[in-house]
Amino acid sequence: MILGVDVGPTNTDAVLLDGDRAVRAVKVPSVAGDAVGSLAAAVRALPAEPRGRATQLAVGLRVAARAVRERHGLARVGVLRVGGAAADAVRPLFGWPEALRDAVCAGTANVRGGGGLAPRDTTPLDRDAVARFGASLAGRAEAFAVTAVFSPVDGGQEREAAEILRAETGPDTTVLLSSDVGTLDLLARENATVLDAALSVLVARVADELTATLPRLGLAPGAAVLVTRSDGTLMSLEYLRRQPGLSLGSGPACTIRGAGLLAGLPDAVVADIGERRARVGALTGGYPQEAGPGERIGGVPVSVRFPDLITVRADAHRELAEAADRMRPAAGLLPLILVGGGAGGVPADVLAGFDVVRPEHGGVAGAFGAAASPVGGQYDRIVRRGPGRRLDAVRDEVRDLARAGAVRAGADPRRVRTHAEPDLPVPYLPGAVLLRARAVGPPLPL
Amino acid sequence: MGSTIRLRTLGFMHVDAGALADFARGCAVLGSGGGGPADVTLPVAGQAIEECGPVPVVDPAALPADALVMPVGLVGSPAVAAERIGGRDEPARLRDRFEALHGAPVAAVMSSEIGGLNGCVAVAWAARLGLGLLDADSMGRAFPRMDQNVLELAGLRPGPAVLADEHGHTVVVDDVDGAHLEQFARAAVVAFGGRAASTDYPLTAGQAARHAVAGSVTRALALGRGEGPAPLLTGKVSSVRRYATEGADGEDATGVLLEGGGPDAGRLVLVEARSEFVAALEDGTPLAVVPDVIALVDVRTGWAVPVEEVRYGLRVHLVTLPSDPAWYTPEGLRLAGPAAFGLAGLAGTTGEHRAAGGSS
Repeated sequence: MILGVDVGPTNTDAVLLDGDRAVRAVKVPSVAGDAVGSLAAAVRALPAEPRGRATQLAVGLRVAARAVRERHGLARVGVLRVGGAAADAVRPLFGWPEALRDAVCAGTANVRGGGGLAPRDTTPLDRDAVARFGASLAGRAEAFAVTAVFSPVDGGQEREAAEILRAETGPDTTVLLSSDVGTLDLLARENATVLDAALSVLVARVADELTATLPRLGLAPGAAVLVTRSDGTLMSLEYLRRQPGLSLGSGPACTIRGAGLLAGLPDAVVADIGERRARVGALTGGYPQEAGPGERIGGVPVSVRFPDLITVRADAHRELAEAADRMRPAAGLLPLILVGGGAGGVPADVLAGFDVVRPEHGGVAGAFGAAASPVGGQYDRIVRRGPGRRLDAVRDEVRDLARAGAVRAGADPRRVRTHAEPDLPVPYLPGAVLLRARAVGPPLPL
Repeated sequence: MGSTIRLRTLGFMHVDAGALADFARGCAVLGSGGGGPADVTLPVAGQAIEECGPVPVVDPAALPADALVMPVGLVGSPAVAAERIGGRDEPARLRDRFEALHGAPVAAVMSSEIGGLNGCVAVAWAARLGLGLLDADSMGRAFPRMDQNVLELAGLRPGPAVLADEHGHTVVVDDVDGAHLEQFARAAVVAFGGRAASTDYPLTAGQAARHAVAGSVTRALALGRGEGPAPLLTGKVSSVRRYATEGADGEDATGVLLEGGGPDAGRLVLVEARSEFVAALEDGTPLAVVPDVIALVDVRTGWAVPVEEVRYGLRVHLVTLPSDPAWYTPEGLRLAGPAAFGLAGLAGTTGEHRAAGGSS
């Protein structure tokens, strides 16, 4: 059995799944500011039997989103850009809301180095400047974020810089690399990496608390624990420590996925009706549809894969209908799944033109989505077509790296399945193409 | 001739930090769906103004007629430009090479292409160079090719053109016609790794006053403040079809169906796009055809949406604007009219629309 938990701002939901059937569901009030405490309260509200048969705990903690919103518990980050004078037209953290920047920034530097589309465009890394920056922030920065120009094509200099920073500040220093975080768009990728680093200390503390609490939850001995991420899949606590930003947006993502599973629909529009606001997203092939470019978190443009959402007031029914219509990925009628505590309060007539589904257990869709999701991984890379370049070989490599990502996130290597997503052309750059792949699999049993 | 008066009227006119977002929004409208997302270069201009001060907007006729003007812009892929954000000394290197070729100092900067991401590039570099920005540009909008500009129509030479990047690599292209410049630049951009800074069609302030598209910067600012024409239609994107045009060298094309809402309920408008939106048709009748500017402005954000980001369900205002009169001459229509975008059947309708729509 699998136990899914969704720690919301008001309530914490827990669902116990046997196969794909919910055998128990509870809803308890959340403990303000204590995600792990809220989780424990919800889990203990389930009867000891069958709780004791749960071999996996999947949880949406939502601590990262709250920390960014409330600017609370964020680590001081040393922000290192590798690009030098060729990439200083916009400095690191330019345009950040002042309060967030003050809360996060321990210091910034932009050192010579960086790459390009082709290997010949690489500038050697200024190793001494990296060492000086590391030494200047030793004891002051709680984490580092490293972003090199064109690292999504070749992340070598970021790894090199990370080694130097650890040599200067200690082998256990948290150093996060932008090539693990996003694709081409230097500033958005850098911002996302800095947010990751800023969340790393808080997330590590919560992961520690969760690990310490786990034996006292009355689950099956050795039960695995996984956390939700923004693409509707799960990851291990170890992976969360390395990429905390992947959990931003995981709450809505899990609710969208859970709604689809509860309704037995892989493609639908999903509206999560809360007490004050309603969030509308789309489900495509069983997973949340991603937002387009231009996503912002805490007022900062970031390159993260975030579910596409429109938020409206819970009682603004006309806006809700418009948002739901807008989320339809094609003009053909897609069903609309209503979940959340307020789903029953939306009159059917405001949603004329929709095939409305209100599934059983819709009030705990987030917890259900957490319990019923696989571990995931993804990878993308921009390549140039050219004479002698075997695109198929690169495509295989991209799939292998997506698979490796899922395994690092905690999936069972023997049962991971990969699938390639459609190649995307890169506008105005003839011959260049973005290859993408995703991988999912069940967690590695202990 | 009246230069002091003109200087005074524009003397209070600056692009400053407060006006920058409006300016970029206006550039996005003038991009007609192309020219790259204007928000990519918005922070580049933001930091340049913060460090170097607001950029004075200059009437070309207020400068001495023989003063040297440097048109600027990025060429290549917007996706690469979003990664290679450029350096602070890039414009100075471009200017130094430009001045060496001409043996004269640059008096002002002009945008090669006001539409899309290049409007903010011109603001950023004028700020960095401490120069004024002409209230003019070479296109009045965005077009895919470098030679699709009104200076080409006026018979100005493209060279000497300078292509350079943030690492100092430099290429000078001279003794070419417009089509040949485009060929050279395309080849060079591959070697530049997908992005280069360019100055082409060098000119004097007098030539700019006579031949360039007048009022481009003030037009972008006004559009960005919401002072544009009333939308032809407000509604939602009800389908998006992406396809390749017929023929051996088929181009990427997009067909967008807009369904009117509210007072426009019941109306259907088809918007055709290549790199930019090139035609808007209602019941087979053209509402606007290239070289008219055609923009889909997101009702939620107020930003014009690039062609590649249009998708089902977006609520948009359809806004059209006439282009510079030079684009409606026979030569202008040959270079960048409907036939140049595979819409020969619609030739001749733009003049009619223009007569009905008046000038901006």
